[in-house]
Amino acid sequence: MRISELFTVPRFNDGAIKVWRRDFLYFKKTWLVSLFWIVLEPVIYLGAMGFGLGAFVNNINGMSYIEFFFPALLATTAMLVAFFESTYGNYTKLTHQRTYATIMLTRIGPDEIVAGELLWAASKGFFSVLGVTVVAIFFGLIENYKILLALPVLFIISCLFSCIGMIFTSIARNYDSFIYSTSGLIVPMSLLSGTYFPLDQLPTGLRYIAYLSPLTHGVAAVRYILHEGSLSLIATHIAVLLLTTWICMNISFLRIRKKLLK
Amino acid sequence: MSSNVAIEIKDLRKKYEDKIAVDGINLEIYKGECFGLLGPNGAGKTTAMKMMYCSALITSGELYILGLNAKKNAREIKSRIGVVPQEDGLDPDFTVLENLLVYATYNNIPKEEAHLRSQSLLRLMRLDEYQDRSVETLSGGMKRRLAIARGLINSPDVVFLDEPTTGLDPQARIWIWDFFKHLKSEKSTIILTTHYMEEAEQMCDRVAIMDEGKILVIGKPRDLIAELIGKEVVEFDTNPVDLNYYLGRLRAEGFAYQVIKNTVSILVKESQDGRQAINLIASDKIFIRKPTLNDVFLKLAGHQLRDE
Repeated sequence: MRISELFTVPRFNDGAIKVWRRDFLYFKKTWLVSLFWIVLEPVIYLGAMGFGLGAFVNNINGMSYIEFFFPALLATTAMLVAFFESTYGNYTKLTHQRTYATIMLTRIGPDEIVAGELLWAASKGFFSVLGVTVVAIFFGLIENYKILLALPVLFIISCLFSCIGMIFTSIARNYDSFIYSTSGLIVPMSLLSGTYFPLDQLPTGLRYIAYLSPLTHGVAAVRYILHEGSLSLIATHIAVLLLTTWICMNISFLRIRKKLLK
Repeated sequence: MSSNVAIEIKDLRKKYEDKIAVDGINLEIYKGECFGLLGPNGAGKTTAMKMMYCSALITSGELYILGLNAKKNAREIKSRIGVVPQEDGLDPDFTVLENLLVYATYNNIPKEEAHLRSQSLLRLMRLDEYQDRSVETLSGGMKRRLAIARGLINSPDVVFLDEPTTGLDPQARIWIWDFFKHLKSEKSTIILTTHYMEEAEQMCDRVAIMDEGKILVIGKPRDLIAELIGKEVVEFDTNPVDLNYYLGRLRAEGFAYQVIKNTVSILVKESQDGRQAINLIASDKIFIRKPTLNDVFLKLAGHQLRDE
């Protein structure tokens, strides 16, 4: 893998949309199940953390606990849903279901499959964010237009973790392999990326490690957008997200392409 | 390349990290022909076919499908061929009908056209009453029929069938081979791999027998049988003690034979007389039969057990 390969612009045609639509068709058939895990679960978190635990916290960086936690919940939801779709979902289609091998029998090639699948897992993450947002509006948690500015960032987070998930899919030997990435990466990230408490609470060394977590930048960007952060900080965090997404996207293209066409 | 050639293969090779799967094959398959790739497990049939339908990279050599270079024009080739892979690869997330419709979208077939074609293929394959069933609930034979319908949805010029009847019960096999006859009568070019020699003999205009990545022989089944086996086969059982005695007598009279354990098959050539061979042996179990492609296959590929 050469450095330049990490920054290329992938080329694919409208076949990617066909791959995306296959997944969307299945999603439409099973939306009720999806709704439970991709929307209801985050909402329960919000209730438990925000209203339950939050009642004991008066003020955190000048906001109520639920105000502090909500942006992190959105970012974490985008991460989890996109990541799980891109790992368990795609691994199943790559191996047991042989979905990709079948698609490859048509004019659609590996690049369209990767592009379509990355976009699909990102879309699912984003649908989940939209679902949680709607519920939050209903409960009066979102009062202004700023959420509209945060949504594109949440889509980038979905894309990023869709790509990271795809890389793990390309490495996995079986379903158990994902336990490493989930317990070793995703769960710690969801706890330590400035999600439940400010990063200042962490010991100095750990704080720097937390900055290596892409979710930290996602949470920070969304939180600053919703709560008056400085423009330059927002831009910096978004830039980190975009750069990481682009690199991870190229790695997934390189690795899955090799898996699909030997 | 003349226009009646559907597939042209020159010195085609496929090397995996640990083994050579296809070791320099040359082949021309004509339009409207039913061509069979035969051989034991691990002979390289499936790999050769995968390169033809552009699902495996070519290590070296030339491969043209319908005049298109498989190394450069995979997308165009794939839009003009139909493939029924060994593992049906049906999508368990969808119903029978949806499997065809979704696959049609991959092929860029407009929605209404896709519906028409799917319905008519389902009728043709006797699956119309199951169209709303989940594919998981189908029997093996039904799954295979659905995979065949799927392979035909883009009205392909060439159809590839990898072990189309392996693992099916006799009824399902007969039905499927009958369907291929119908397909053949419509002048489709069909390329298939199979273990079933008698079926290949009936169906295929020509066959290639492969072993260890190489093509051992190519020809019309009847010609191969006449040339390599003869006009009939006299088969008898004996015991290890008498075996060598009989073989010596047969050799002396110029008879060719194949031995599998204690069963000897005498290959009687056109110029020879089977009765003479019978006179040379004494066994309770002698019978005379027509030679088959199976004899050719065993002669060329041997009878040792093959593992993948």
